[in-house]
Amino acid sequence: MSEIDEAADPAALIEAYYDAGWTDGLPVVPPSDASIAATLAAAGLQGHELLGEIPGRNTEVIAEKAAINTVMAGCRPEYMPVVVAAVRSLCDPAFAYHGPASSTGGSAMVLVVNGPIVKRLGINSGNNAFGQGHRPNATIGRAVRLIMMNAMNTRPGFLDRATLGNPGKYSFCFAEHDDDHPWEPLHVSRGLARHESAVTLIASNSLYQVYNQLAATPPPLLLCFADALANMGSPNLKGFNQTLIVFAGEHSDIVRAAKWSRADVQGFLVEHTRRRLADFKRAARIPGAVAAGDETTWRHIFERPDDILIACAGGRAGSWSACLPGWGNKWTRAVTTRIDDAGSSHGRQA
Amino acid sequence: MKLFDPTSKPVERAVALAPRPASPRGLRLGLVDNTKHNSDTLLRKLAERLAARHRMTVTVTNRKRSPSHEVDEAGIAALRAQADLVISGIGD
Repeated sequence: MSEIDEAADPAALIEAYYDAGWTDGLPVVPPSDASIAATLAAAGLQGHELLGEIPGRNTEVIAEKAAINTVMAGCRPEYMPVVVAAVRSLCDPAFAYHGPASSTGGSAMVLVVNGPIVKRLGINSGNNAFGQGHRPNATIGRAVRLIMMNAMNTRPGFLDRATLGNPGKYSFCFAEHDDDHPWEPLHVSRGLARHESAVTLIASNSLYQVYNQLAATPPPLLLCFADALANMGSPNLKGFNQTLIVFAGEHSDIVRAAKWSRADVQGFLVEHTRRRLADFKRAARIPGAVAAGDETTWRHIFERPDDILIACAGGRAGSWSACLPGWGNKWTRAVTTRIDDAGSSHGRQA
Repeated sequence: MKLFDPTSKPVERAVALAPRPASPRGLRLGLVDNTKHNSDTLLRKLAERLAARHRMTVTVTNRKRSPSHEVDEAGIAALRAQADLVISGIGD
């Protein structure tokens, strides 16, 4: 740390963080000894504790640095356990951090929060769930990105080689409806208990909103998802992929009314998310000329039903849902980590 | 008021480098294919040129699980045991 003379003017302190190259482009909240201590305490952490590491990049994430960045992002101290769980997900070997963090694809680190902590912190799962207006959504995702930049050396132009990037790289955090859901919540589907809180991390460089106002049954609705996930511009068509689908209110109701299970939806999408080999060749996504048989040879995008993660969020009104294709042909995998908001988080699972 | 540094530097680790070969002639060559498109083709062409110019021989090829993953320990052991020179590092 260092002393600055301009501190009498709060804006000067904010400028000092800009001058040091420590921001994401937005102003940060200057930390203090008290705010850092409170943030660490809220997660039951000591400053020297190791939250995770990326051995191949000689990177270690220390609790004090994570707390500084979390304060800078604008988080309240009680958000810290969620940030810690997200950092542990980033450092899980199954996530294979180097690819999604550094790729030209410029992925957002999408965080889906489940469990009792959602209501306690006021994380938005409803109207405008992906958008602005809610402090925990805006600042928890931002804290994770600031930690990546500052404490994990993942800076644009250096170890972040995003060609375009996307706005979700500033922050992408939302909660799932735990109590307005056709099935069990996402974290329960991934092996945790309903009473537990968890963060699921998936790297995605695209967000497609899926619209359908006429479908009254699941098949026509899900064909729209299948088409969106198999478009020729999608990055991950050549190998099997992982994806996150988010059903919003009216679309959730269609699936619920038809009594389709999560497995029914996943099975339908595994079967129908596909393109002909000829399509791949015409679009030069696979080399070579179109040959006899290519018009009737199908390539599927998904290998297994549980490669399709399904969450429910968003407003009750509107015929919109979304799909967020995962980065990198399953080189990286989504990771769900339990949040222990009485202490540090444990119990990660891929 | 204080300015708190949010950054961490990479952890420094001592790395023992293998001795540099005195001459390129006749070396055993290891190739690390990171699976990027055409990386295998580029490595093969490089190996052909090195064979023609310096009589190098490809003795071991490692194909990584993906560009995101490191060479695993068994792969490192094979490269260490069977190669005098290793070529890696194919980008987009």
